[in-house]
Amino acid sequence: MGESALVSLRGITKSFGAVRSLRGVDLTLAPGEVLGLVGDNGAGKSTLMKVLAGAVQHDSGQISIDGRDVRFTSPADARRERVGIVYQDLALCDTLDVASNLFLGREPRRGPFIDRATMHARAAETLSELHVRVKSTYQEIGELSGGQRQAVAIARAVSFRPRVLILDEPTAALAVAEVRQVLKMIRDVAAQGVGVILITHRLQDLFEVCDRITVMYEGRSVEDAPISDLDIERLVAMITRSGATNGGPGTEEVA
Amino acid sequence: MSADTATRPTAVLGRPPGRWQRANKATLAMLGVGVALFLGFGIAAPNFLTFNNLSNLATQVAITLIVAVAMTFVISTGQIDLSVGSILAFTATCAAEMLQAGWDSSVVIVVALLAGLFWGAVNGWLSAYQKIPPFIVTLATMSVVRGLAQLWTKGFSVPIDARLFVAKLGDASFLGLSALAWIALATVAVGAVLLSKLPFGSYVNGIGSQEESVRRAGVNTARIKMITLMLTGVAAGIAGLLTAARLGSGSANSGQGFELTVIAAVVLGGTNLFGGRGTVLGTVIGALITGVIANGLNLLGVSPFLTPIVTGLVLLAAIWLNLRGRAMADLFTHLTGRS
Repeated sequence: MGESALVSLRGITKSFGAVRSLRGVDLTLAPGEVLGLVGDNGAGKSTLMKVLAGAVQHDSGQISIDGRDVRFTSPADARRERVGIVYQDLALCDTLDVASNLFLGREPRRGPFIDRATMHARAAETLSELHVRVKSTYQEIGELSGGQRQAVAIARAVSFRPRVLILDEPTAALAVAEVRQVLKMIRDVAAQGVGVILITHRLQDLFEVCDRITVMYEGRSVEDAPISDLDIERLVAMITRSGATNGGPGTEEVA
Repeated sequence: MSADTATRPTAVLGRPPGRWQRANKATLAMLGVGVALFLGFGIAAPNFLTFNNLSNLATQVAITLIVAVAMTFVISTGQIDLSVGSILAFTATCAAEMLQAGWDSSVVIVVALLAGLFWGAVNGWLSAYQKIPPFIVTLATMSVVRGLAQLWTKGFSVPIDARLFVAKLGDASFLGLSALAWIALATVAVGAVLLSKLPFGSYVNGIGSQEESVRRAGVNTARIKMITLMLTGVAAGIAGLLTAARLGSGSANSGQGFELTVIAAVVLGGTNLFGGRGTVLGTVIGALITGVIANGLNLLGVSPFLTPIVTGLVLLAAIWLNLRGRAMADLFTHLTGRS
């Protein structure tokens, strides 16, 4: 998948003092692909994604986007390469309305004033495109459900027109119907050609939206398999490294 | 809202909802309290609702209102400024001393405002950039700034020559309203535009709600927090100048307890004390309520010592409403069948 890869990470390492958080991670992502990134707590998933989003600088290894080698020294660098990330805490303001949150820090203006009519119209358009269900763009974020908040946060990231979108636990603590909506949104975003990396502990979600799974274990990427080759027991075995060691992709035996 | 179910479920409305839904419910409640107070005093004291008395009321609340508008920004970011009374005293004595030394009024006005801005910048830098809680910073500057004014004047009140422009400013009036009232009105207009029409206002409320979210959106939140404290500094500078002009003297002991009056006016107006929800219109209502209580009780000829008691009780009731305003508004909506 060398030349068709949108993102490729090779041999990424990162240490925090004596702690070797990433010990050599390889990962590839194609345009329009949904990649599930799984692993136990402390496997290094979040650190790896922070490296890709420019929030953390890696020690060695290579990041390339569209075949070009890049190095991010800040989140702004990553944003320039159109890598978007939605962190678990969503980065929304409860007392501002939906449109203000979508355009926080880049409000459409008329002279020095916020152009509210344009802002709300564009917000309504963006949200409708992604089938986000909120009553009105004038609703305060604090009045929304967890799923709606997550959807607004994803819509916000999508409105930056990313090529790569990283989602950190988007379905944690959501009601069943809300999980459906967020997963549908992920598929919609990927259908637009965006490469999506999904970090989640909800393994059933992976089977619904992912094309491929990369498994991390103790700071290394240890497995990479198309979702069609896996079932839930095998996936659990890959994450916990029980029995399925060296059972590479394509091996049909069930652990 | 009934059309909502008829449209496609995925369509998002981009048009503004009704005024009732957008209004700050705590402010609405205080508007009701304000109207009730006006009517009550209007019936009890026959000369209350005369133009002369209302114009007088505007002058009485002007100085509080000017600083309260700026304080609305500080409180909306989740900060507090306790030093405004001391900055008021400092600029009042500073202006009086400079006028006595023979400086021209125009220079004195500029220097007084710069002095206010300077103390605001000190507060802002220490709290926003040095990350000391603004409560502590302004508690300290409240003591230091008044102390400097007292040291300077040795505790004496400094008279201002009544022929000077600054002194005349205190008595000037235009179209039946005092210069003070006009300045307060202008401050309200500027404050309202700043808070509700500019991105700055969004960031102020956003910071009060979740500062980290605003910071991640690429906004320099420390700078915005510092600017809000500079606003209260300048406003307190204007207030000090006007206080000196009105009294015809500058005293290091003026404006004691002023910060509490100002904060009370802001909170009475429905601005959330924990930040994130500020309204300038509410602050006007809050300042008017505190003014009306003092003015009305005075007209009724009751003991002046009753004023702080009543003001305190109304403040308590207002905070109670502030905390439960939302729940009550929901109940009202439910009862009247509006949604």
